[in-house]
Amino acid sequence: MVSDILRVRVSELAARFNGEVEENMGELELTVDGRYILEALTDAKNFADVPCDFLHDLCGMDLGDHLEVVYQLSSLRGPQRLRIIARVERDNPVINSVTQIWKGSDFLEREAFDMFGLQFRGHPNLKRIYMWDDFEGYPMRKDYVIESHEQRAVMRVRKEGE
Amino acid sequence: MMIEGTQEYSLNMGPQHPSTHGVFRMVVHLDGEVVTKVEPKIGYLHRGLEKMAESRTYTQFIPYTDRLDYLAGPHNSLGYVQAVEKLMDTEVPERAEYLRIIFAELGRIASHLVMIASGSLDISGWTPWSYCFRDRERILDLFEMTAGNRMTPNYFRIGGVSQDVPEEFMPALKSFLEDMPEMIEEYYGIFFGNEIAQSRMKSVGILPKELAENLLITGANLRASGVQYDVRKAEPYGIYDRFDFEIPVLYGCDTYDRHFIRLLEIQESKKIIEQAYKDIPAGPVMTKVPKVLKPPVGKVYHRVENPKGEMGWYIVSNGSTKPARVRIRTGAFVNVQMLPEIVKGWKIQDLVTIFASMDLVLGEVDK
Repeated sequence: MVSDILRVRVSELAARFNGEVEENMGELELTVDGRYILEALTDAKNFADVPCDFLHDLCGMDLGDHLEVVYQLSSLRGPQRLRIIARVERDNPVINSVTQIWKGSDFLEREAFDMFGLQFRGHPNLKRIYMWDDFEGYPMRKDYVIESHEQRAVMRVRKEGE
Repeated sequence: MMIEGTQEYSLNMGPQHPSTHGVFRMVVHLDGEVVTKVEPKIGYLHRGLEKMAESRTYTQFIPYTDRLDYLAGPHNSLGYVQAVEKLMDTEVPERAEYLRIIFAELGRIASHLVMIASGSLDISGWTPWSYCFRDRERILDLFEMTAGNRMTPNYFRIGGVSQDVPEEFMPALKSFLEDMPEMIEEYYGIFFGNEIAQSRMKSVGILPKELAENLLITGANLRASGVQYDVRKAEPYGIYDRFDFEIPVLYGCDTYDRHFIRLLEIQESKKIIEQAYKDIPAGPVMTKVPKVLKPPVGKVYHRVENPKGEMGWYIVSNGSTKPARVRIRTGAFVNVQMLPEIVKGWKIQDLVTIFASMDLVLGEVDK
């Protein structure tokens, strides 16, 4: 259940950053431009009475024409929950890192970078986490082509002299 | 020629190392025997489950969820099926809800037993290991007689469970519950009360409360650092709000407490299963769901308390038979980050104990 006070706080925040608020299935969602994400998250963390101070999850999302970074906020001291979605351009997916607010977002951001190619500005160690370092492409993007078995079998054949 | 001072060197541990409980690899920087820095390297078990989910129907993905935390299969599928049910607004029959709780909590006990067992094995305690595995076997037998599989039962369905439990299940569960107090006594006597275990684990690898919160640690590791938080109480899912149980919390923040809290949680799980055993009604175990599942357009974020930490399922539906996005937030993946923070200054044999106390399972870390 979404409390009224959280609704007020979120709509204030939305007015500041020109965002949109949606509510369905008991979950409050705020969509903002990727440029304001650091300010929006800092504000949400310091909401009076209903601080959303625990970053539960951070993940990427591909919508075809643009990418999204989804932040799931909650708190260890109350029932409040909030989802903040930051829109970023597909060609230039740069967004500020939140590692300065939550140290633990380090791995989550690395994963989003690995899978979606999101560039987190200010991240201390932005490297691939699951895939190997010289892997090409971003597997979770919708336009990533999964090779067929035949293709993969051809790739495994070792060239002469190798 | 005399060498002045010491020189730092790095040592590669894993991915095939007995103390890493799977295929975890870490590069350990050492000064003599003292750890100065640890770099975790993960991804050796990466199967791309999130990507796979996008090319399978909602029902087809259920068996994959068991393979996340393969030591406690049922709880992973519980999170997934409940998230899809939320999306589709499906009611689950009462009997199925109780069976789900019984299975999920049995899975938690099995997972915690493995954690205590391997923790003791890492400090060369063979007997506690054999005791824990002996008792875990009985839980796996219960899974096997119901679903056919031992570690990955694939028992839950969207809208209920696959089948009712066989006749011999309930008597076997009852005798297991009756034997549990004695088992717990044994674990305490041989492992937690043991002087060697205590001297190896007490005040080793301190994770202060503020650091744990900043590192986004969840689950039993957070509760061993003095934060009383559990999704089962804070945001009850399924029918957890009907049971009377406590959330154990310890304030030692050390390796010993991270082990000991699991023993306390086993006791609470036992309480839940006992109540479910007493109250379980008769009736159907599966509701009517269409053969082809097409959840309406929407998104849902569902959190469950896995034995290894909080698991979050973010499912986005575009109205077709396959999900547009399935995001799995696993507790163990985020919990890995505490390792480099807490091992600094400890010796290499303490690194092994500290690693065991984090209770990682690589299926969940690597997805």
